[in-house]
Amino acid sequence: MLFPPQVSLLLSFLLFAVLAKATPGDASFAHDELRALAATGGGVIKLDTSSYELLMNPNRHWSASIHFTALNPRFGCSQCKQFDPSWKAVASSWMKTTKASRDNHFFGTLDFDDGQHVFSELGIAAAPVVLFFPALEGPHSTGRSDSVKYDFSEGFGPEPLVSFLSRYTPIAIPYSAPLDYAFMTTAFLLTITSLVALPFLLSALRNRWTWAAGSVFLSIVMTSGFMFTRIRHSPPVGRDGQWVASGPQTQYGGEVYIITALYSVLGLAFIMLTMVIPRQPALQRAQLYLWSLVIALVYSMLVALFKSKMHYPFKMLF
Amino acid sequence: MPPLPSQQTALTITSLLRLVALGLISGAAIAPRLFSVVEFESIIHEFDPWFNYRATRILTSKGFHEFWNWFDANAWYPLGRVVGGTVYPGLMATSGIIYAVLHAMNLPVDIRNICVLLAPGFSALTAWATYMFTKEMKDESAGLLAAAFIAVAPGYISRSVAGSYDNEAIAITLLMITFYSWIKALKLGSALFGTVAAMFYFYMVAAWGGYVFITNMIPLHALALMLMGRYTGRLYVAYSTWYAIGTLASMQVPFVGFQPVSTSDHMAALGVFGLVQIVALTQVVKSHVSSTQFQGLLSAGLILALGVIAFAGMTYRGMIAPWTGRFYSLWDTSYAAKHIPIIASVSEHQPTAWPSLFRDLQFLLFLLPAGLALCFYHLRDEHVFVVLYAVAASYFAGVMNRLVLTLTPVVCVATAMAVSEMLDVYLDVGSEERTEKEKEKEIAEAEDADAASKPKRPGPHIHSLDTRLAVILPLCSLLAFFILHSTWVTDVSYSSPSVVLATYNRDGTRNIVDDFREAYAWLRQNTAEDAVVLSWWDYGYQIAGMAQRTTIVDNNTWNNTHIATVGKIMSSPESIAYPLLRNLDVDYILILFGGVIGFSGDDINKFMWMVRIAEGVWPDEIQEARFLDAQGEYGAIEAMRESLLFKMSYYRFADRIRFNQGRSRVVMDRVRNQPAPIGVSLDYLEEAFSTENWMVRIYKVKREDVLGRDLKSANAFVSGVKRGPYPERVLTRRRPLDIHVV
Repeated sequence: MLFPPQVSLLLSFLLFAVLAKATPGDASFAHDELRALAATGGGVIKLDTSSYELLMNPNRHWSASIHFTALNPRFGCSQCKQFDPSWKAVASSWMKTTKASRDNHFFGTLDFDDGQHVFSELGIAAAPVVLFFPALEGPHSTGRSDSVKYDFSEGFGPEPLVSFLSRYTPIAIPYSAPLDYAFMTTAFLLTITSLVALPFLLSALRNRWTWAAGSVFLSIVMTSGFMFTRIRHSPPVGRDGQWVASGPQTQYGGEVYIITALYSVLGLAFIMLTMVIPRQPALQRAQLYLWSLVIALVYSMLVALFKSKMHYPFKMLF
Repeated sequence: MPPLPSQQTALTITSLLRLVALGLISGAAIAPRLFSVVEFESIIHEFDPWFNYRATRILTSKGFHEFWNWFDANAWYPLGRVVGGTVYPGLMATSGIIYAVLHAMNLPVDIRNICVLLAPGFSALTAWATYMFTKEMKDESAGLLAAAFIAVAPGYISRSVAGSYDNEAIAITLLMITFYSWIKALKLGSALFGTVAAMFYFYMVAAWGGYVFITNMIPLHALALMLMGRYTGRLYVAYSTWYAIGTLASMQVPFVGFQPVSTSDHMAALGVFGLVQIVALTQVVKSHVSSTQFQGLLSAGLILALGVIAFAGMTYRGMIAPWTGRFYSLWDTSYAAKHIPIIASVSEHQPTAWPSLFRDLQFLLFLLPAGLALCFYHLRDEHVFVVLYAVAASYFAGVMNRLVLTLTPVVCVATAMAVSEMLDVYLDVGSEERTEKEKEKEIAEAEDADAASKPKRPGPHIHSLDTRLAVILPLCSLLAFFILHSTWVTDVSYSSPSVVLATYNRDGTRNIVDDFREAYAWLRQNTAEDAVVLSWWDYGYQIAGMAQRTTIVDNNTWNNTHIATVGKIMSSPESIAYPLLRNLDVDYILILFGGVIGFSGDDINKFMWMVRIAEGVWPDEIQEARFLDAQGEYGAIEAMRESLLFKMSYYRFADRIRFNQGRSRVVMDRVRNQPAPIGVSLDYLEEAFSTENWMVRIYKVKREDVLGRDLKSANAFVSGVKRGPYPERVLTRRRPLDIHVV
């Protein structure tokens, strides 16, 4: 064979694109092509500049969802990588619909490397972006021609994407989450382990200090802004690698670890001072001095960290 | 050396000292809360307090029945609001009673001053209640420490400064008294204290929606005790009394009504009530028939399972309302953001980042583990309560900013236990001699009970003076630092009335920005008494309270569609908004604009929420995506520039700035640090009033044109711009007379 299959496919693309350009009004011709491409791509049409033109036929009686991405490692777009499987899963589930309704909507992926021109034309400066382009003619057109953008704050998983797209597609996307084998295996193993370790677990559950450790840990984690980072999806560190977000109303995920650690050390120090060392005659003096010093140092660090986030007139050792 | 006082005298002296200390703590609680009065004036703060104040004035001037049946036709125009059935009346009733008592004593105190000073007054009571509560946990000295902590903890001051006349002002006091009575009832098995707990629970239900926290905490405590195998007759008496009386009483509040038997928020209390009865029954049967133990246990488990199934089934069938949105959003934290933008838009419903928690609780936060460990060490029934309360409240405080308030009391209690334990151990100077005695005693005990094979741990004892100092001195400096911190936070963060703002110059002198009251006074004095004012809901209560004019929406937020209508008006172009404005009989529109002096809390910064809430109701007409630029942020793109809010904000803005700064080319908006648009024109509205710093701008909605033209062409005709079939070039030679067009 002269060319590997992908290349020959690409060539045929280009050929068709040229033909399509030659007959711009011929929507049914483009439609047949798109149908074939979608079938070969497992539901997703891998777009380039010319097949994008094909899909965006001005007389189209179909709608299209296009995923603009930049998967080339040199862009370092981790969110693109994170989102790509969700997109493919949703697009392939569209192939489960009946043939008649399937052909009224197409899923396409345009990588930055294949269509820089399109990116700049649409003014897309950040990836990933998902746009829905409505049908312009035929029974599915709504009289609206502007595209709708998916809001990634709803999530990178397939479910929110499905609920967004289903609002616009001719029929709802029949997506169902695949069985999570990894999760099921883990759950199974965990059940087995806990059954085996049941006697030990029970005695641990009856021990009040297990519960003490649990509740202390929980209260420390909750007061170190853990829920804030969960709800706001804060990144672990800042864009330029900084650990501490500036401003009292915000924080990065990394700060949860720092603050939890600081609070834990301070909490431990006070527990030692209050409950443990007074009952230990041996080396009492050394221990007391040690823990007092730990409190002074760690608390100073905490105050310094706090001071770096907001205007604060006090400081301790440093 | 004088002889030591007798034990009786010593006791008298300590109780006197305790009283004095409590008095001083009350003073310490009240004093920092008066900063706002000293720095500004005796004024009601923020937004919700203005409604409470207005309602209280109705109560005191027209009497309780009039207040109870009050239909407020000035709010939510044209719908109105039935206030009696949609309000927690506890706060107003409290100040009404204080007012009546003072006037009966011929002390003619203005109701405003009672309202302003209510919160500081109740904070002194909270300190007392916390003292009583902590006394039950450890002893009096821990109680005093806890009272001192809660008196100055910024987490509580944030909601109880003078002028912050809100439900929380009295609610925390009631919360602590209820919890104290509950612990007391549980310890004594006393139906009397159970009833007291129920009565204060009723007061709390009448005062604050956060009563649901008590509704779930007490059953949780009871359940935990039963699971730990600590069921006692005392628990049965305490819980049954509290639940039966408390629930019946709470149902008398019209706003609550039948919720205690029909919503999920209250089901835990009901379920545990049933469980307590079953366990009690099995206990009774067990005490008579020995072999039924197993069956009893079995049936309890069965009933529990049946109860859960019945609950799920009834929720499914719709007989029990599922969790209300506000509470549901506490568990599924992404729920509110997706489904109820009106809840997500409120800043106090945002999750809490660690700096705000540290600012509110400072060193109390990391002493909490020591306090909890101490609870686990003793682990009496009441300590279980502190642990459960601390864990639950720290979760809630992390999820929702305003709930730091409920965390504060328990952190103060637990911390006070730890600090008091430390002081006990390290200040116990007489322990040298006492330990000798104790050792003898221990030896005697060990001889008595040699069956107990494990060696007894030695009692706490510190050997030398320098180590005592090495611990006590840092501890004292921590406490002193906490006082400094609290005073500073109170002054800087929590004392601003937010009705009057202060800005500081480079040299430290202060400017008072009083634009809000200027605008409201203008409305009150220059508009018809039945004029309807449209604004974003944040300012509804203030307009009703200070300007005494009818509003479309206010902070009650009970009708999402109505709020969405306002959002739609604000985000639509003039020609679309105008018919809506006329339909709602709007005479004036009031907006906040901070672009002149850099006030960041203005309406353009809230624009996102207006759009989102409007989109929730009219997804076909308003789409957030249309207001977003390529970066996915709100930008000055077409839809935004055409929106009514944007136009009202920047109307004549360039003139104003150029008047001050000369003719610079770029006109900067000082909030967004972006060049502001110039040449904004309005056809359907006219500027009525802008305050000194332009923070509040009021627009009058024009009536329809008398000649039946649409207002756009009428304006064009007046200003000499003629559109239409005539060739335009003939007429555009004349410069437009409208000075706004640059």
